[in-house]
Amino acid sequence: MISKEDFEAFVERLVKEDHREVVGVQEKGDKFVFDELKAAKDLRLDYDVTILPPKKYFMPQRETLVKYKVKDGHKAVNEITPRIILGIHPYDLEAIRQMDKVFSDTYEDKNYLKKREASVLVGVNIENVSEWCFAGSMGTSTIEEHYDLMLTDIGDKYAIEIGSEKGFELLDEADVMEASEDDISAVKKKKEGVKEKFEKKLDLPPEELPILLERSYGNTDFWKEHSEKCYSCGSCNLVCPTCYCFDVKDFNELTLDEGERIRQWDGCLLEEFAIVAGDENFRENRYQRYRHRFMRKGRYIHDRFGDIACVGCGRCGSHCVPDIADPTEIYNDLKEVTK
Amino acid sequence: MNRHSIYEPENAKILNIREQTEKEKLFEIELESGEPLDHDPGQFVELSIAGVGEAPISITSSPTKEGASFELCVRAVGNVTNALHNLKINDEVGIRGPFGTGFDVEEFKGRDVLFIGGGLGLAPLRSLINYVIDRRDEFGKTAILYGCREPCEILYEDELDQWDEMTNMDLHQTVDRCPEGVCWEGNIGVITTLIPHVDFDPDTTIAAVCGPPIMYRFVMEELKNRNLPDEQVFLSLERRMKCGVGKCGHCQIDGLYTCQEGPVFNYADVKDVEEAL
Amino acid sequence: MSGKPKAAFFDLAGCEGDQLQIANLEEKVLDLINIVEVVSFREIMKEHSDDYDIAFIEGSVTNDHLAERLEEIRENASIVVGLGSCATIGGINSIRNSQDHEEVKHRVYGDQADLFPSWDKAKAIEDVIKVDYHVHGCPIDRDEFIHVVESLVLGKDPEIPNYPVCVECKLNENICAFERDEFCVGPVTRAGCDSCCVNEGTICWGCRGLIDNPNDDAHSDVLEEYGLSAEEVMKKFNLYFGWQQEARKDE
Repeated sequence: MISKEDFEAFVERLVKEDHREVVGVQEKGDKFVFDELKAAKDLRLDYDVTILPPKKYFMPQRETLVKYKVKDGHKAVNEITPRIILGIHPYDLEAIRQMDKVFSDTYEDKNYLKKREASVLVGVNIENVSEWCFAGSMGTSTIEEHYDLMLTDIGDKYAIEIGSEKGFELLDEADVMEASEDDISAVKKKKEGVKEKFEKKLDLPPEELPILLERSYGNTDFWKEHSEKCYSCGSCNLVCPTCYCFDVKDFNELTLDEGERIRQWDGCLLEEFAIVAGDENFRENRYQRYRHRFMRKGRYIHDRFGDIACVGCGRCGSHCVPDIADPTEIYNDLKEVTK
Repeated sequence: MNRHSIYEPENAKILNIREQTEKEKLFEIELESGEPLDHDPGQFVELSIAGVGEAPISITSSPTKEGASFELCVRAVGNVTNALHNLKINDEVGIRGPFGTGFDVEEFKGRDVLFIGGGLGLAPLRSLINYVIDRRDEFGKTAILYGCREPCEILYEDELDQWDEMTNMDLHQTVDRCPEGVCWEGNIGVITTLIPHVDFDPDTTIAAVCGPPIMYRFVMEELKNRNLPDEQVFLSLERRMKCGVGKCGHCQIDGLYTCQEGPVFNYADVKDVEEAL
Repeated sequence: MSGKPKAAFFDLAGCEGDQLQIANLEEKVLDLINIVEVVSFREIMKEHSDDYDIAFIEGSVTNDHLAERLEEIRENASIVVGLGSCATIGGINSIRNSQDHEEVKHRVYGDQADLFPSWDKAKAIEDVIKVDYHVHGCPIDRDEFIHVVESLVLGKDPEIPNYPVCVECKLNENICAFERDEFCVGPVTRAGCDSCCVNEGTICWGCRGLIDNPNDDAHSDVLEEYGLSAEEVMKKFNLYFGWQQEARKDE
């Protein structure tokens, strides 16, 4: 346990004294973002959802993979900033767990994994629920592992659960006290209570998604109808905590003798995502790209890694201007039409 | 494989360049380490040209080829391949790989082998054709069906002659059309017109097919007519493998990653996958 | 092209703001002239030569005289690059394309309108000649211009995004204009500007033109759903999209 006052002092010390960069959830207009903390008072642990998930710290929007000199060849690059990340919601922690799996599978992606290793994840249980969030339906409104520390706001203090050695060490400098029976039951009540707060709900258990999607793949009318207003803008991909597709490009210095190979977030909704040399597009129609995203979240990733790759954060729904990306609507409609 | 990053290409040198057609050149390449690539027939590499980018290229030489070098047959069709065509002998490129699942040669052993290649699709097939030739005793009869749009697009002309002369090797060629004034004595028609002329036993034959996307459906129909079971057909598919290591997502065929499960697939595994064919 | 390619800059009907962007490249200008030889650039040099490989053309085509000049440039150059919205998509000049031409002329030139012959519609240069590449924007993005020059020198196709500005807004973690109760044409506009206007808290006006395959029907619907009248929607689309919308109708 830690009093809120002591917690702020603890964060302030981290910001001032820790050699690592301290990032946390802060206001941006009337939205929230993860950003470098300049002062402890800027931290907003009562936020609803951030625009981008914390994935950006392990897989940045743009990242140099290789530097090259035309005369000397290529050299791998991994720019790592060790970080303490404060205020990650349970659904985002679940997403990070899934990304850890993806980037360790078969070929280890050190650019992701080393950044991930250099980070301390401090979670926080959800205080305020975004109107688009349906974590309650996805079993991700709380999480019992895959964090270093987990905070729960119980009035004038935070309960702190320790998830790892890294988390334990971070607390060295904090004025913490043992939790009482009352504190423990308060945390339990808080976690149970949050499940009831979500207005958006999935009408089926997420485990049924792979089968539902397999059955409805060929329902072209459904996919066409729902994607009619799709801009193919990729916003749903780009804000998703479990989307990890990327594009790779070379950027030269003007001298033309050296430069950097950069990966940038990409999205399967974008028109040219599946084009091959010679311009054949294997997912030419809007509805195919639109369908692919839902298939991938609810079925393909499940077949490959055993996870439903939607954690219910609701970001895709909230960022879709024509409002056609909310997974609860699509999956619930699909359930209706697929008997 | 590079120990610290899956994205760092290894330096390699172009040892030889042989012009094949107006658009295709055959590059013989050796890694700076002098080590052989150690690939399976049908696998691919990511070829890097610093300042231009990377492109996935199937390996056209057999792992049984003598020496440490390997060969890529490349059509100039994008930025990387155009830049490669401008390079000269002794110039350097970067190589990552080999990647992907190639032809499972164990499946082919002891069987008759039918190769069906359309256009540049002969390039990945050649890695397996030469493998079979180099270990002739381990395989049964072989037939090669090869089709191009026009005679000027024919690859590996010298080699085709050699293959034609081999015993136990049946070579059939066709072109879709022959412009006036061009000498062509062979068959004219799409590649499927060759299939009825080939003598093979569907019980003992295994087929390796590679060509442009449009070719597969028609070829598969013909093979079905000849009672060749789906499980005995292997296809090599082309997608935009940007990373080669199952991460970037560009090469997905529905739920499959071409760079992992492919580029060589068993037809039975992909025939019901809508985006595959 | 062997050796340093020769580049020339031209301006038709436009404000020359794109050439100004290049003149303002400062220290990078020196690097640039290391890789190309500039043989004509009215804004920064007196010399002129008609011996060039790459022609960069700013401004839209608004009369016969400009069209002839453009055709001459096309004959001289092996590569033609449109520079800025007026050249690449008709730009601001094409606002008038949906208005009464006589009225427009008199509004601009008053009694002397007849002294200035002009077409009733402003055109993008690709309406008159074949154009190889476009550097979009009003004004152009300096980095993108450099990327295009570099690519041409290296003999590769420049990579110009064909996805909407939304992509860059998301990468920059901007608050969407629609969430600020504003209206934006970012969802149908070609990215490549790094969403610079939205980064500064305004909206996307569409200066880089439509992406190749915009869902503009959906966007009209969406704008109306968000409370814009059909007329206001047209205005949103007409600031930069005037010529392009019409050209697409003709296809």
